[in-house]
Amino acid sequence: MKQKLTWMLTPLLVLFMTFSFAQEKTVTGVVTDQSGLPLPGVSVVVVGTTNGTQTDFDGNYAINISSGEKLRFSYLGQKTVTMSVGASNTINVQLEEDAEALEEVVVVGYGSRSKELSTSAIATVSAEKIEAFVPSTSIDNILQGQAAGVQVTAANGRPGNTAFVQIRGVGSINAQTTPLYVIDGVPIPIDTERDFNPISNLNPSDIETFSILKDAATVSKYGSRGANGVILITTKKGKAGDARIKFSSSYGFGEMIPNNFDIMNTTQKLELERQYAALGVGAAGSLPGANATPEEIARLTSLDTDWQEALLKNSVIQSNNLSVSGGDEKLTYYMSLGYDKNTGIIKNIDGFERMSARLNTNYQAKDWLNIGANVSVSRSTTDLPRDRNNVQNPFRAMYDYNPYDPLFRTNDDGSIVTDDQGNNVYNPTRTGFPIALALQTEQEDTRNLLLIGNISAGMTFSEKFSNNFSVGLISNRYNRTTRSIAGGVLQGFVGDANFPGTQTDNLNIDFEYNVNNVFTYADTFNGVHNLSASFLLEYNENIATDMFASGRGFPSPSIPYLDVAAEATTVGSTESRRILFSQGLFVDYDYDGRYIVSGSIRRDGSSRFGPDNKYGYFYSGSAAWNIANESFMENSIFNTLKLRASYGTSGNQNIGDFQYLNLLDFANTYNGQTTALPVGVGNPQIQWESQAIFDVGVEFGLFNNRVNGVVDYFKKNSNELLLDRPISYTVGDENNSIFSNIGEIQNSGVEVSLSGDVIRTQNFKWTLGGNITFIDNEVIELVDGEDIITGTFGDNILRVGEEINSYYAVEYAGVNPANGEPLYYDLDGNVTNQFSDSFQQLQEGKSPIADFEGGFYTAFSYKGFGLRGDFVYKAGNYIINNQLQSGVAIGNIDSNQRTDAFNYWKQPGDTDVLPSPLFQSTADQTSTRFLEKGDYLRLRTMTLDYNMPRDMIDGMGLNSLRFFVAGQNLFTITDFSGDPEVGLGSAESGEPGDVGFVPGSFNLFSYPNTRSYTFGVEVGF
Amino acid sequence: MKNNIKLLVLLFSFGFFMSCDDELNDLQPFVEGNPETFFNSVSAFQNGVDGAYRQLWNYYSSTGSGLQGIPDILSDNVIIAQTGRRSNQDYFNYRYVAGTGGAIDLYWSEAYEAVNVANLVIAQIDNLGDGDDKDNILGQALAIRAWAHFDLVRVYGKIPTQSADANASLGVVYIKVEDGDTEDPFAEPVRETVASNYAEIIGDLERASQLIGADNGQGKLNTDGVYALLSRVYLYNGEYQKVIDAADEVSVPLATAEELEGLYTDANEAGIVVKLAINTSSESGGNNVGVLYSQSNSTSTISEYVFDFDFINSIDEDDLRKDVISFVGLNQDNQYNAISKFLGETGQVNGRVDVKVMRAAEVLLNKAEAQFELGQDALSTLNELRDLRYVAYDGGETGQDLEDAIQFERRVELSFEGHRFFDLKRRGEAVMRSTMGDIIDGSGTPPDFPTIAADNFRFQLPIPIAEINANQNMVQNPGY
Repeated sequence: MKQKLTWMLTPLLVLFMTFSFAQEKTVTGVVTDQSGLPLPGVSVVVVGTTNGTQTDFDGNYAINISSGEKLRFSYLGQKTVTMSVGASNTINVQLEEDAEALEEVVVVGYGSRSKELSTSAIATVSAEKIEAFVPSTSIDNILQGQAAGVQVTAANGRPGNTAFVQIRGVGSINAQTTPLYVIDGVPIPIDTERDFNPISNLNPSDIETFSILKDAATVSKYGSRGANGVILITTKKGKAGDARIKFSSSYGFGEMIPNNFDIMNTTQKLELERQYAALGVGAAGSLPGANATPEEIARLTSLDTDWQEALLKNSVIQSNNLSVSGGDEKLTYYMSLGYDKNTGIIKNIDGFERMSARLNTNYQAKDWLNIGANVSVSRSTTDLPRDRNNVQNPFRAMYDYNPYDPLFRTNDDGSIVTDDQGNNVYNPTRTGFPIALALQTEQEDTRNLLLIGNISAGMTFSEKFSNNFSVGLISNRYNRTTRSIAGGVLQGFVGDANFPGTQTDNLNIDFEYNVNNVFTYADTFNGVHNLSASFLLEYNENIATDMFASGRGFPSPSIPYLDVAAEATTVGSTESRRILFSQGLFVDYDYDGRYIVSGSIRRDGSSRFGPDNKYGYFYSGSAAWNIANESFMENSIFNTLKLRASYGTSGNQNIGDFQYLNLLDFANTYNGQTTALPVGVGNPQIQWESQAIFDVGVEFGLFNNRVNGVVDYFKKNSNELLLDRPISYTVGDENNSIFSNIGEIQNSGVEVSLSGDVIRTQNFKWTLGGNITFIDNEVIELVDGEDIITGTFGDNILRVGEEINSYYAVEYAGVNPANGEPLYYDLDGNVTNQFSDSFQQLQEGKSPIADFEGGFYTAFSYKGFGLRGDFVYKAGNYIINNQLQSGVAIGNIDSNQRTDAFNYWKQPGDTDVLPSPLFQSTADQTSTRFLEKGDYLRLRTMTLDYNMPRDMIDGMGLNSLRFFVAGQNLFTITDFSGDPEVGLGSAESGEPGDVGFVPGSFNLFSYPNTRSYTFGVEVGF
Repeated sequence: MKNNIKLLVLLFSFGFFMSCDDELNDLQPFVEGNPETFFNSVSAFQNGVDGAYRQLWNYYSSTGSGLQGIPDILSDNVIIAQTGRRSNQDYFNYRYVAGTGGAIDLYWSEAYEAVNVANLVIAQIDNLGDGDDKDNILGQALAIRAWAHFDLVRVYGKIPTQSADANASLGVVYIKVEDGDTEDPFAEPVRETVASNYAEIIGDLERASQLIGADNGQGKLNTDGVYALLSRVYLYNGEYQKVIDAADEVSVPLATAEELEGLYTDANEAGIVVKLAINTSSESGGNNVGVLYSQSNSTSTISEYVFDFDFINSIDEDDLRKDVISFVGLNQDNQYNAISKFLGETGQVNGRVDVKVMRAAEVLLNKAEAQFELGQDALSTLNELRDLRYVAYDGGETGQDLEDAIQFERRVELSFEGHRFFDLKRRGEAVMRSTMGDIIDGSGTPPDFPTIAADNFRFQLPIPIAEINANQNMVQNPGY
């Protein structure tokens, strides 16, 4: 009873004391590390209270405290220090490194492991560290150049678009090569075939780390989905302590990266037309330049139009983020709100906008039960331009439209023609398609509403047994509206005059749920033998339902709803499902933290395969030796030195559903009536693509971890590749191919990543870091050894013994100096003045795949100032420069041309020139003439920032205040004639999921990459 | 107690996975059907047959490459308009090679898909009980199979009457389910001869003529349609008496001059024997067959191809068709002899209309040509058409003049409907285009290649490169 009373009184007493006796004062000081360098972010808490603060950038802190109370200083990897507050108002603390606490934890898939005990090649990218420096709306773009072995190429410059991410080279030819993304344990379904990629709807600010699993030791745990590597995304969590509020905001603008070539102005174009016409080039005969009078030339010159300027604008880029996090010992939370906007660079197109919200919580419900729940919701909208290689593409139009064709039609006196309503009339130009008007009347926009949630329950039964059950859900609602407005450009061509205006609405709902249970046994024998084993059960089902409806005949362009359509035209709905059911066993053993072995086996069943091949087994074995932990290494310069090796298998089942069956499709109608058409020839024998990776690596940290590095050698064999085996058209198959497990490809390479503090003093720090990946790849086996022609336009080839997707092109032999005729090599190696597709041959060693690529950064900090530059580079890849071809094609004389077009053969003896315009039919062909090296070095981001010192912001009640200015794609070094960073050539010609699509193999007027400048501020309180 | 709860939770966690294997194994396609079980009723079979029509329609109406228009672009009926988009210029200028996109790949691919569907229907036809319905389905499938093969062999092979060596030259592969041709999807079949192809085409069509119904509705074959096709195939094969006999079986009357305009805007069905139809309401996103000639919009006429200068000037002012098939198109201040066939339904310029595959006029002209070849009274037959088409005409030709008159009437009547190239080809005649330009008065840019000699290899389009690559036994046509 007495005790209870004391209990109850204590708080009162405390209050009383606080009010009556507390000698409150402000204590300040500096917290430094072992070597005397200031430590920012150290938590400083008054023991027994929630009163706390953090050290600022310079290690300074200030806190109100009463004498007699104690201050606790804690920081990850440092021993916690508690100091009593005495008379002094200054307490400086030097923290000591805590060898045990330093154990960095890596997320390894179905759990985490201390970095020291990991046997796997895992690259961890801490998003928190780079997000401030590498602003981007999409998380995959952020990864570019940040981790060895991870090849990231922006699909194109369209805001909100995702990137092509490949881990350790091309792992498949026809199945999707996108790695498996797992966010907080929830696999994210990506279906490039249906253009479904929720990655663009994640808020980068919510992400704590990316863990990129690259070798068998970890990817085998993901079995049938691990072959392309796995990217585990961990979102931020709250930490016990006072609420931390962080607000960041940035604003900027962007523009197309300027071309490294010139296009013609009116004077130049008219002159070229005159020259061509004089030579007798038929197509030039009817052009204005052919025989224009000086007056006409003067009139046209006065109309000179820069079409890039007329069609493009500067984009506006905005980003705002607010987060609140905190908690107590039992419950922690992190919540955030984000808003991002990037208008893109096309006039009259709104670009990309995203709003997102997230709540992550963790609750220790019982001493044996821990419950975590993460929920996020985000909505993005995208206003899309047509990305196709025809007149409907503004990025083609700006090169094609003649400079003497102004934006609006003009009268002879130069005044603008107006319609009856007084509006300016857009110029249809030579193409007959006024793109500036079409951008307004042919609209397409998409909205995505993405929900991701997961609940996990971690149960500890005893010291040895534990169980983790988790359910993850991801649901995306995709709406798309495509409209062709009455009176608009396309309506005039394909519309029905009786039913003005058309609209199609799509609604796709994707839902995937993942239930897994991991039962774990862990034990230690004799204090040195550590053993753990986990048993996994996992069920994953993906359900996609699509609906669409279209109608025509709209009363007003401003009512974009089918309700008001005069007539419904088509409707449709579909459903598809995919199920995976898996069991796995993972075992880890180590001897005293020095010798480590791990093994895994997993059995997957997939609905994508027929009864004969429904199940597959995937396994791995790995070992590591922590040399630095050996006694003989005690006084060496190494803080870390680890050797590791792994081997194992994984699979790829990223193919369409029911490819093992012959199916009938009812999607088409004939004269309004249902048709039954064979989808294609099924292949009951198809099975997983399987992959075997061998990896050996060394990790090291030197001189107090001042220099860190990882070197890995890997060899990855992808077997049983599912390829479209071309079959004779006479079979009547829709795609003229049968999906079969045909081939084998091999990627091998070396990855190196290094980082180090070159200078590390109290005020000045210079850090350098970077990574490089060398990849060799080769086709090992194809069906019957027969070549497969691939690529969107059949310009790539798979041949045993050669690089994957090597170019398959006619070899250009230059211009005959005698007459200006273009020459080619025939298959016997003879030079000929003929051109024939049958001269196409494999271009040895030339493929869209780089020999090496990577990124590096350099960062300086001086007091509160920081300057960081991130570079990306790539070398050894080739690109078919279709934009160059189009820009100098003789047959395109009716369109604008590059100024290079003047450099054609004029007289005998001319060398290093373009072919004479008289040989249009042989000159305009695709050949190695347009196959260019894609090497480049690009300054991806340059950031200058300033952290306000604590003493200046204290009075404002702020914890931290940072200003920054960042520039993206500021300069590029390349010999490529155009932008060398090519992902999508032309989305509607070929994109992921399309037969033969090879990323980065050609450029063809897709959305250009942009250069941007942003300014921002971050406030913490 | 606490341990029991833990056990329960654990059991629940594991229990969830109990029936997962069943879920996995029971999953079936949602929107597709099984070709082995689907065909079990007349309506299901009709879905299959409609699928085959759809495949034919795909390549006849293709916006970029329709067989309705490419044969005219390959001939002397048109010239490319420089102010158009110059679509198909590789075809017009005879620059096509095996890898050229468009028509070359499309016809080969889509026609064999039509054959495949027809074979699927034919293979399972015994799922239906004997009777008229079964006969009618089988008749349609056989006729479609023949029709698709006929298109293939006339595009990629020679035509029997074209030259002396034609019959023995390379035809296409004739795929018949009855012969086991469809069993191996990895088959790499060899090309048969032209003569063998025509024998099988005629075999299928003659069989179909005995089975098919008299009326299957718009856009589908019937007895008239099969006989009409036969009249054309016999003509290509030089079996002239059979042309006449088949033509006599066709009961569709000729369209009058007054009906012509409505015929091309789908306002009426006058004189139509075979058509591939589109429902422009429910299929408003379907192919625009007229786009090959005209990418016009409501405000301007953007002609892709316009009348050959000599051709338009050879049409008599008394010819009632002249204003139906031509108009003055204005684009970028240039005037053209624009084509008004297939501009669209009444009031439209979107080019979305039915494909007119066979008209009574063609059947009549097939017959007249056959009669001429046999020395019979071709003139009266020809005059049946001319009586309807001219205010007045001289007539009374004999000999070479009569032959020319038949061919001239054919050229005008069937212009832009996919005939001219084949008519020149099968008669072993050269393409002789006007050397005048594209503008209305003959100024402008003349064609790059005005003349293609009768024996030029380009009369046979190349086998698509993808087929050559996929099929080791496929022999390319000479010249490519």
